[in-house]
Amino acid sequence: MSKLLEVKNLEISFQTFFGEVEAVRDVSFTLGEKETLAIVGESGCGKTVTASSIIKLLPQPPAFYKGGQILFEGEDLVTKTEKEMQKIRGQKISMVFQDPMTSLNPTMKVGKQIAEGIMKHQNMSYDEAKKRAIEILDMVAVPEPEKRINQYPHEFSGGMRQRVMIAIAMVSNPKLLIADEPTTALDVTVQAQIMDLMKRLKDNLNTAIILITHDLGVVADMADDIIVMYAGQIVEEGTANDIFDNPIHPYTKKLLYSVPRPDMKKDERLHSIEGSPPDLYIPPKGCSFFDRCDYAMNICRENNPQFTKHSDTHMSRCWLNQKQAKEGN
Amino acid sequence: MEPIIRAKNIKKYFKVPSGNLLAVDDISFDIFEGETLGLVGESGCGKSTAGRTVIRLYEPTGGELFFKDKDVFKMNKRELHDVRKDFQMIFQDPYASLNPRMTVLDIVAEPLDVHGIPANSKERYERVIQLLDRVGLSEEHAMRFPHEFSGGQRQRVGIARSLATEPKFIVCDEPISALDVSIQAQVVNLLQDLQDEMGLTYLFIAHDLSMVRYISDRVAVMYLGKFMELAESEELYNNPMHPYTKALLSAIPVPDPAIQRARKRIMLEGDVPSPINVKPGCRFVERCSYAKDICRSESPEFKEYSTGHFVACHLTEEIN
Repeated sequence: MSKLLEVKNLEISFQTFFGEVEAVRDVSFTLGEKETLAIVGESGCGKTVTASSIIKLLPQPPAFYKGGQILFEGEDLVTKTEKEMQKIRGQKISMVFQDPMTSLNPTMKVGKQIAEGIMKHQNMSYDEAKKRAIEILDMVAVPEPEKRINQYPHEFSGGMRQRVMIAIAMVSNPKLLIADEPTTALDVTVQAQIMDLMKRLKDNLNTAIILITHDLGVVADMADDIIVMYAGQIVEEGTANDIFDNPIHPYTKKLLYSVPRPDMKKDERLHSIEGSPPDLYIPPKGCSFFDRCDYAMNICRENNPQFTKHSDTHMSRCWLNQKQAKEGN
Repeated sequence: MEPIIRAKNIKKYFKVPSGNLLAVDDISFDIFEGETLGLVGESGCGKSTAGRTVIRLYEPTGGELFFKDKDVFKMNKRELHDVRKDFQMIFQDPYASLNPRMTVLDIVAEPLDVHGIPANSKERYERVIQLLDRVGLSEEHAMRFPHEFSGGQRQRVGIARSLATEPKFIVCDEPISALDVSIQAQVVNLLQDLQDEMGLTYLFIAHDLSMVRYISDRVAVMYLGKFMELAESEELYNNPMHPYTKALLSAIPVPDPAIQRARKRIMLEGDVPSPINVKPGCRFVERCSYAKDICRSESPEFKEYSTGHFVACHLTEEIN
């Protein structure tokens, strides 16, 4: 599989009144063509910042790229100008946002919102673009697209609006789709419809997807590879099977056991993670999960662990899995 | 065992310009002492309205609600004030349900003040500290304001407040849906410990079906203002009988790739229809793949199909 996206040692900070917040710290990953990568973690762990940084949607300032590279088809996006990015955004990389209620323009007909992108990127006339808008709405299974393009977003239900969002994102057949919590605001039955749609589009159009979510069920359904983030860092990465069947980092384990599983007994307790994530104004010197970890050792407080490879696909950032720790046992 | 709550034909309609919005339409159920009844359904199905009507935060349109053999819906203001000591509620949004200008001490003490329980300010303070301690907060938190707390901690303050009058029955309206996964488990464990210690009875409203399965003894499934199915939670999840329950359960993604990818899902088409001026017949008929003529003309009865397993569907025997 050829590499579509390669993120190398990405570091992003926000300059605030109280000082610098290191939201993303030393994040690296690669994404192959047609691959689905899920980024999971709690709110505030940096997953949305990481994803928005790829498409350069972070307002600068307060955000700034402190270091690292984002190589998309071999070109570094960090150094691109806004004008160059406009050619990439919507055409090669698109994004679907969490809240379909607020990310559509309420004063603009849905057809026009879809056509906007087509006219910009594909040099079509409005009439041609409208035809294409009808086609694409049909593709995302919005019933009666000819009628629907002349309606406003408030006439659409939540699930239908998310379909429109996906239509806008997919209209110019992008190589990469970034989906930021695309189903979080939706009910389960509608969530199932949207996930089904995304899988179908991905197979038909060969799009790679970066899926950001905290719902492990959604991840289990869609992801090829998974990145687990905590306090701005990747703590574990691997294929879906690596992470679900053989989680290694204590945080990943706790995350997996904090949701009730279908085979769980009534009197079994949920594994809660006590405490809350660290403050990133002053990122901890050692491992960021130190405060909440059951296995914390002295070294964890002092030094941040490097990645350990467990297999070709599976890596984690924890002192327990370093070679020295294993030998000690 | 005697039920602590007996709800009979509860109705709550809202007047809207285009007619009546049937938020809760004729639901009946019992809740036994010390149990948790889960109430699930998609947004807009009326589950929160049902919870609020039960403790009479909304004036009911019709029906009866017996709490220990007294009809709460018929009580006058004074009687209601007294019985509210036994009824409490935990709200969904821990950001909006705490007054930002009150200290945690005053927030938690408010129900005590309303019922005139503490004799003096020392007793009031001590009682609040006890309550904070019980939910995993401490004395140092008492003089702080809500904005100084995280979502999980705020929800603990909300729980402490609901425990202040030593209630028997608590309506938990999506108490965890605004919280992160890891914090959800903390709050659920806390709710269960409190239930064990104090013998509380919960009506647990949620849309997270796997959490409801875990926490509830029995579960009711609601759709467009009506109950579709009610059964013990294991029975409901292992042997769903109503076509809606079947679809709903099959839509929950399981956090295990091997199981999730091998599953066959029942996909529901479209969205929940509007609850305004609903047509006669089964509420689910438009999205049901089994629908027959009778489903369009007659509303199905909510019948006990096997012991403790209630289903509202004309075709129950045919389908299962």
